[in-house]
Amino acid sequence: MNRDRNPWLTGLAVLTYAFLFAPIVVLIVFSFNASRRNFVWLGFTTDWYPRLFANTQLLDALSVTLRVALIAVIGATVLGSLLGLGLARLRFRGSGATETLILLPMITPEIIMGISLLIFFGQLFRQNGSIGQIGIAHITFCISYVAVVVRARALSLDSRLEEAARDLGASAWGAFRYVTLPLIAPAVAAGAMLSFALSFDDLIVTSFNAGVGSTTLPIFIYSAIKFGVTPQINAISTIIVLVVAVALMIAWRLGAFRGEERRPVAEGG
Amino acid sequence: MSNDHDGSPLDLERILVRYLAEELLTRRQLLHRISVVGATVALAPIIAACGTSEASATPGVASPTSAPSGTAGEPTATPEPTPQPTPEGELFVYNWDAYIGEETQQKFQDKYGIKVTYDKFPDADTQLAKIRSDGKGAGYDITYPTSVDIPGLLRDGVIQALDLSLIPNARNLGPEWVNPGYDANNAHSMPYMWWTTGFAWDGDKIKDDLTDWTTLWDERFKGHMGMLDDIREVFAVAGFRLNLSPNTTSDGDLDAMLQLLEQQKPLLRKYTADDIGDLTSGQLWITHAWSGDWGQMLTDKPKTKYVVPESGAVRGSDTMVVLSGAPHPVAANLWIDFNLDAEISAGNSNTTYYMGPNAAALALINPDISGDPRINPAKATLDKLVELLELGPDLDKYTQRWNALKA
Amino acid sequence: MTAAAAERPPRRPIRERLAGLLFVAPGVGWLAVFFLLPLVIVLIFSFGTKDPAGHVSLSHLGFQNYLQATRQEYVPAFFNSLRYSAITTVLSIVIGYPIAYWISRYGGRRKILLLILVMLPFWTSYLIRTYAWMIILRDNGVLNSILQTVGLTSEPIAILNTDFAVVLGMTYGFLPFAILPLFVSIDRMDHNLVQAARDLYANGRQAFLHVTLPITMPGIVAAALLTFIPAIGDYVTPDLLGGAQTTTIAKIVQVVFTSGRDWPYGSALGFLLMVLTLAGTFMALRTLRRETLGGG
Repeated sequence: MNRDRNPWLTGLAVLTYAFLFAPIVVLIVFSFNASRRNFVWLGFTTDWYPRLFANTQLLDALSVTLRVALIAVIGATVLGSLLGLGLARLRFRGSGATETLILLPMITPEIIMGISLLIFFGQLFRQNGSIGQIGIAHITFCISYVAVVVRARALSLDSRLEEAARDLGASAWGAFRYVTLPLIAPAVAAGAMLSFALSFDDLIVTSFNAGVGSTTLPIFIYSAIKFGVTPQINAISTIIVLVVAVALMIAWRLGAFRGEERRPVAEGG
Repeated sequence: MSNDHDGSPLDLERILVRYLAEELLTRRQLLHRISVVGATVALAPIIAACGTSEASATPGVASPTSAPSGTAGEPTATPEPTPQPTPEGELFVYNWDAYIGEETQQKFQDKYGIKVTYDKFPDADTQLAKIRSDGKGAGYDITYPTSVDIPGLLRDGVIQALDLSLIPNARNLGPEWVNPGYDANNAHSMPYMWWTTGFAWDGDKIKDDLTDWTTLWDERFKGHMGMLDDIREVFAVAGFRLNLSPNTTSDGDLDAMLQLLEQQKPLLRKYTADDIGDLTSGQLWITHAWSGDWGQMLTDKPKTKYVVPESGAVRGSDTMVVLSGAPHPVAANLWIDFNLDAEISAGNSNTTYYMGPNAAALALINPDISGDPRINPAKATLDKLVELLELGPDLDKYTQRWNALKA
Repeated sequence: MTAAAAERPPRRPIRERLAGLLFVAPGVGWLAVFFLLPLVIVLIFSFGTKDPAGHVSLSHLGFQNYLQATRQEYVPAFFNSLRYSAITTVLSIVIGYPIAYWISRYGGRRKILLLILVMLPFWTSYLIRTYAWMIILRDNGVLNSILQTVGLTSEPIAILNTDFAVVLGMTYGFLPFAILPLFVSIDRMDHNLVQAARDLYANGRQAFLHVTLPITMPGIVAAALLTFIPAIGDYVTPDLLGGAQTTTIAKIVQVVFTSGRDWPYGSALGFLLMVLTLAGTFMALRTLRRETLGGG
């Protein structure tokens, strides 16, 4: 394969990564700021890290956030992938309406979605907010993103591949499992990653669906806005980034992520 | 006065509400009742604190929705004058961030063995939306509404009456806080912190001695000024400049205020939700600010100055209330009592730089705070300050114009 | 690419149809219960009014809120929203495409890793990242310090609290939403096609315009959707990074709901915004489809 590296492209890529990580570097640096507030650099200290571990409220918020994200990722990825795949591969009456339905949650201003669920759970089920309720809310707005991404990928797959598999004797399920699924896997993974990012950071919808003891990290941080977001928050974000980075490195060393070999299949697109 | 939440106290509530509606005080009345704040009226604080500590011994025994019915084991055993109900094992508090003493929560937990879940909100609108979402407080026991909101909350049954037998520390309140206009006899709330709203500026960048609201319309500082992102406060400033009441509901008045504010907008850098951060980081040189916020600015920028203009300024107070759907009413009342303890109240003030209503605490408050006339103004200045009152549906007149201003 | 267009077989057996329905049923069911139903409730509210006690009253249903919502004063805020979202979308795609292409083309075994690396910053807290931008962009912040040290400027220039900061912040926030779908689409393209085009004497630019771009169009469309639509509703970024002049319509909706406590009016405003966004999106999609034959 002709792989003449384009230096411009590589340069752009490097710049883009720099852009993506610039605030993260600042964030990490300022986690050592000896000021209670985040803005002015007043000196170096590592105090925030031990204090972070004593801050049960912050740690609880992180735990809630991760639990909610887990629910959201699983629910949205499963439901959304099925949705996206169904729409792309199988024409049926009402697919146009379904496509619009997928777009609707994305268009709906978060505050309206938040309030609608607040009323729904509050008046109909007398719920005052809980991790489960937040989880349901998150799944609801993440489904669309997963569906759109999976659908885009599935649309450009040649359905004749599946038919070919069937012709060669595979069952419907077998064809799905061994042909379709691997081909859309990157999209499903992308959808899962998007869902995680969306859920982890969500503020508005979450704040309408959180209750006693179900404060998430974004809510916790936003409530601190008026009096200053202390470097403790930077510290916890730094730790999260480090943990994920280390986990990734370990996973990579162990051989994950290497399966993506290019299949020289003549895809019709 | 009962503080349970089955059907019967509703009548009592209705009576109270009607009483309040009829009694709806005038602003003059309220100001008249404000005598010397920070006067050296030393009441006996410690006895009250000792009295309540014995009652609590058993944590987590009572059922989660216990009413203060007589407890099984201790009606007459101790030398306590009244049988103390057993507090529940948990408490759910809903408050602003950084609005409490650093050690208050821990000390409460240590003293009573009650586990406190402390959730926070970023602004009053979020708070009110939350506690009103089911009309009863959304599962929280305690929250801290501004005094302005109390009549409305009471009217709508969102808060319940306090059990004053559990709050003997109420006697620590300075005389002007007893029986405030928005809540007769402190039946439903206890004052927490009060403040003034003026403006602060960076003493390094601006050497002038600023004194009046007109500064915030000064072309010299274009692009470096900020106003608070708060409808009532901003309109109040316009009101002070035009000599109109910040509680007006007249369309003519409000239009005049809007016009003045529109003249100001191009000179502003932003309407800030974080006055402390914006000033200390240098984004703003001058900002509309609350007195306690100024105190916190001093930590990072000691040269910050603050003034409460003579032409008029807002004063306000936050209160503690027990929500009507509170799952732990006994613990809730104990929390309120705890925060009225002189030491605890002083601790709260020393951390937040706001003044409390606690006369007994005065001696224990950091003199930088209590001695500073800008955080703790003298009576003469206080008399000129205005409290923002609840406007009910007329608030829409403000909101509409605010949105027009901001868009 | 024509395979998709030819894929209109009349011989769709019932079983396929059923399978299609089976696939979409769970997702649709979920959305129907947890999205549509609550939304309908709010829609009904939007025709109601706020009674003096502040509660929603459904006694006088009508369009009064919608008429009120089209006030002249909101127009600047509305255009702010549109402007920011449109620029953010374009920038996100323009920045996102090269890196997605680079990862796909040169990532080799490390593709997924590189992709996760793109996402990594977004697993920290959004607010902290925004604060970090405030630190970088403010008057005595990192950027201004650099500019002054290098000698390009002599005084700090106001970057924070301007349109520029808002667009920068929004683009940053939505970049992964663009990169992921772009990557997914670019990745499945057979690069041999590009090679074939080059063999047929097309130069680099032509190969890109006539081969790569059309093939990856579904990804571009997806990226645009996933960026533009949520961007319209984003009021936190313009609030934090913007100034007095950068208010968005989304912020107005929020103020109406919270400070104004006027749920019916807020709902009407919100729905109006939704309808406009939907209409705009469909029109854009239609033009896009027309111009790239058979795309999507």
